Amino acid sequence: MEIFVQLLLNGLIAGSLYSLLAIGFNLFYGTVKFFDLAFGTIALVGSYATLSFLKNLDLPLLISVMGGILVGAVLNVIIYKLVYVPIRARKGSNMVLLVTSLGVFTILQSLLAILFSSQFQTLRSAGYVPHIFHIYGASVTSVQVLMIALAVLVPIVMHFILKRTKFGRAVRAIGDNEEVASIVGINTSKVIGGVFFISAALSGLAGIMNGLDRGIEPYMGLALLLKGIIAAIVGGIGYLWGGVLGGFVLGLIENFGTWYLPSEWKDAIAFVVLIIFLIFRPRGILSK
Amino acid sequence: MGYIIHLIILCLLFAINAMSLNLLIGYTGLLFAASAAFAGIGAYTTVFLLKSTELGFFPAVIISMLVASVMATLLGLVLNKFRDDYFALVSVGFQVIVSTVFMYWVGFTRGPLGIPGIARPTLLGLDFSSNIMFLILVAIIASVVYLFIKFLIGSPFGRVLKAIRDNEEAIKVFGYNTYFFKLTILSLAAMLCALAGALYASYITYISPPVFYLFESILLISIVTFGGLGSLKGPVIGAVIMVLLPEALRFVGFPPEVAAQMRQAVFGLALILLMLYRPQGLVGEYKL
Repeated sequence: MEIFVQLLLNGLIAGSLYSLLAIGFNLFYGTVKFFDLAFGTIALVGSYATLSFLKNLDLPLLISVMGGILVGAVLNVIIYKLVYVPIRARKGSNMVLLVTSLGVFTILQSLLAILFSSQFQTLRSAGYVPHIFHIYGASVTSVQVLMIALAVLVPIVMHFILKRTKFGRAVRAIGDNEEVASIVGINTSKVIGGVFFISAALSGLAGIMNGLDRGIEPYMGLALLLKGIIAAIVGGIGYLWGGVLGGFVLGLIENFGTWYLPSEWKDAIAFVVLIIFLIFRPRGILSK
Repeated sequence: MGYIIHLIILCLLFAINAMSLNLLIGYTGLLFAASAAFAGIGAYTTVFLLKSTELGFFPAVIISMLVASVMATLLGLVLNKFRDDYFALVSVGFQVIVSTVFMYWVGFTRGPLGIPGIARPTLLGLDFSSNIMFLILVAIIASVVYLFIKFLIGSPFGRVLKAIRDNEEAIKVFGYNTYFFKLTILSLAAMLCALAGALYASYITYISPPVFYLFESILLISIVTFGGLGSLKGPVIGAVIMVLLPEALRFVGFPPEVAAQMRQAVFGLALILLMLYRPQGLVGEYKL
């Protein structure tokens, strides 16, 4: 019983991280329709920015987190203006965009490694010990509770933004057909810039929560991206709630999988799940 | 002088791997991200055969190439269902699963400890244990691979591959079974990757899992794209630049750790610039 509750909790905690990543990824992919390989590393840029606000400038936690999110999001918009706008204007294929994002990913990762070293670092300050709650013999920290709460709260906010605001309607219109959207007078370039901003902010939030819960290292970006993609595809790619569902499904499968296999096999389990879904249900659980 | 020989051998080994990857990306239009996995399969199988049987190096390499080709064929049955970015994603999945096996199937691979003391090859009384002899061996093998690919691409088989890359539907209409062609080229490329991996293992005389991780596959994709897709010389040029660049950076005065990271950053920047201004790479013939 204890083990079951602990695995369930671990699954929910991992699931909330994957959900946050998948929400950002789905928003991005649903609008711009290509795999941005730098997505996870942008999350790390936000996390490392938070780290330096906290440890070098001694700013309070909340301000550091918000500053970190902002740095990652603004950087992503700059990359969009410098790199993706010209390539998209030329109608570069998906493969061109993929390889370009590979370049962005490589640069960011190596710069992070040069600036912050390859060490595994935690965002927690030295003396801080998170409060631990006990549920049926299983334990969960306050940071982890916050993560689960965010994974519930963020999609509700996003749902409101996408359904109720003018910006959200423009985003959905571009996702349906970018050309038609621009013909009816939507400033597509500006709206897509907004999508780059929000998706990077969401991934940054996920990266920072992961940094508070465990820690960060420069080579984590690819893993964060892949978990986000898998969660998005399992749930339903391009759909807000698909990403949320996929994140929790993936988190639970990975953790209950460790009942049978050592926990080092989590990544392999995730990809086996992905390949099974791509073969038998390629549009995900929530597809129509 | 000894160090220069070492660098040339590394260039040639990377070139073999890059040439085989070019068969997939440059000539057939398949963005394949598991070449390091197949290099690893080649290396580990060869080492296993050398350590636990009486076989010589060359028979062991041939058997490991066959093992790689069988695994590639099985993988191809799944991969053939996908195209473009989804093809890339599933090959990433295979790569991650294989690296997990290398890391945690301790009975076969000794896991993170790696396998030391791998013998250099001998053939017909010739001993390739000195670096200069090994250089001659690798140079001969790389030239054979180069000529083989040149022959293959000039043949009717190669023309069908290029047709699949340019327009798969059209070539299907002419009655070509593209499924079979894609399966064949995948298993052929996997055999060449395995060859490069086995030679690498024997040259360094030690292998461990991180050499065959996803990041190495991504590095190879950048080498090929950088040098030029769909050209014979492109991957060789890309490999030479990739190996020599950190040496040049060290010469300019960067410390070694920073030089390695700077290489990634320079390569990333080069990829972005190429995608912006020259999508076919330095000497390539095919634009993504």
